[in-house]
Amino acid sequence: MIDSTANSRFSDKQLIIIYTIISLLSLLAVWELAARFTSASMFLPPASQVLAAFCKSFVEPIGKRTMLAHIGVSLYRVAVAFFFATIAGIALGVGMGYSRLLEAVLKPIFEFIRPIPPLAWIPLSILWFGLGDTGKFFIIFLGCFCFITVNTYDGAKNVDPELIGAARMLGANERQVFFEIVLPSSVPYIFAGLQIAVTAGWSAVVGAEMIQSNEGVGWMIVRGMNTGNTVQIMVGIVAIGIVGFILANLTSALERRLCVWNEQKGM
Amino acid sequence: MKGFFEKYKYKLISACSFLFVLLVWQMVTDVFHLVSPVMLPSPAKILGTLWYKLTGGTVPDGSTLLENIWSSLKIALGGYGVGVLIGVPLGVGMAWSRKFELFAKPLFDIIRPVPALAWIPLMILWLGIGYASKVGIIFFAAFISATVNSYTGIRRTSQVHLWVGRTFGATNRQLLFKVAIPTALPMIFTGLRLALGSAWVALVAAEMLAATSGLGYMIQMARMLGRPDVIIVGMLTIGFVGLLLNTVLEKLQKKYVRRGKHHD
Repeated sequence: MIDSTANSRFSDKQLIIIYTIISLLSLLAVWELAARFTSASMFLPPASQVLAAFCKSFVEPIGKRTMLAHIGVSLYRVAVAFFFATIAGIALGVGMGYSRLLEAVLKPIFEFIRPIPPLAWIPLSILWFGLGDTGKFFIIFLGCFCFITVNTYDGAKNVDPELIGAARMLGANERQVFFEIVLPSSVPYIFAGLQIAVTAGWSAVVGAEMIQSNEGVGWMIVRGMNTGNTVQIMVGIVAIGIVGFILANLTSALERRLCVWNEQKGM
Repeated sequence: MKGFFEKYKYKLISACSFLFVLLVWQMVTDVFHLVSPVMLPSPAKILGTLWYKLTGGTVPDGSTLLENIWSSLKIALGGYGVGVLIGVPLGVGMAWSRKFELFAKPLFDIIRPVPALAWIPLMILWLGIGYASKVGIIFFAAFISATVNSYTGIRRTSQVHLWVGRTFGATNRQLLFKVAIPTALPMIFTGLRLALGSAWVALVAAEMLAATSGLGYMIQMARMLGRPDVIIVGMLTIGFVGLLLNTVLEKLQKKYVRRGKHHD
């Protein structure tokens, strides 16, 4: 956009594809050569080895499970927690945004809890829920819940007052104002919150599994650390990155589908 | 008197609600013993522990609260500094130069979806459990928000402003430093704030996994030794320091960046 190197031979799209291939190939080449021929080989396994191990992990189990099963376990944890966080977050956010009384009662408690990072709850959650899945659900729930609540709350607060006024003037009751105006106009905000929450949830599950688990992608990389297996860590990071990428894009695609009227700008 | 109540009605309700929660908490723990103190200590106990840790108590993790805060802050700010120093120029560069973007953006895009926490094992294996590995982890946490926001900020420069600049004979360098960067500054600042937030969170996780001091280490030790009061003091401190860092940056933003609330 800013300095346009207009190229007559290639279209913009082709140019992006060509450069992407060049840059990724050169990364892999530098990595491979450094790992094979310099002293970096001490700690850096060659790219080809990581790639081979990544492919193999889908058929050969790491620990008790294969790669897909580890990803499945982690995704299941996120899904359960995310489900409850969505319900609780939207209810609390809309409630606080719509009713000043509810806001006055609940906001100080919410604001007190909000700055504490979800991972800092891990020690307490282990004391409360033990080492099982419940504690992990709790951590991931906290990771998602705050973002959904804050965004929904912003949405419900930013409803155009003229719309509410017009509806009231035309004889809408409290209930109708809430369901026909406040809730629908918060939807774009809610979606923005859900999108951040999915990413935060994925990061929280990795953290929770790293600190206390015996399966899942977070466990995989910590196990790699404890056994000094760099290849396994890198395979895990690749898997975590790919799933994180898919989750982030899935929610933004869903948002574009469901909130067509709301044109979003930005990266 | 009535006017006073009307004016502060909601503030009063907030205060009452908060006190009510504390009161119920105190009741179920210390007064009626409905919840075991091993699961949830009373607010009074937590306050006592907070006072003890603040005034030089070193049990159970070997440092006072202030020492732990300092140790965590030192690492967080170190990694944050490196992340910002690399992230902001990278974002600006990618947004300004098409060639650089074509080459660097694919590389950035493959790092971006990996949560900072996932780098912890690699960093620890490569750099040990000392200062360097934690700075490395926090670097990843800070660098991504710093880059993304700088990039978006520069990208939002109005094309018309650039044309005007060019018409009046501004060089490419002048356009960057006099037009694009000032436009992007509020957005860059927001990025700096987000980056500090993620840096602080990543630090706690890193300290819980491998450290010998710091707030994350403190709560992890307290769990092993069954001291929930120390865990909660640690959690509150982590939250409070995080909030404080954010507030400081927000104040700086308001003071030095005009139209600071324009983008958010």
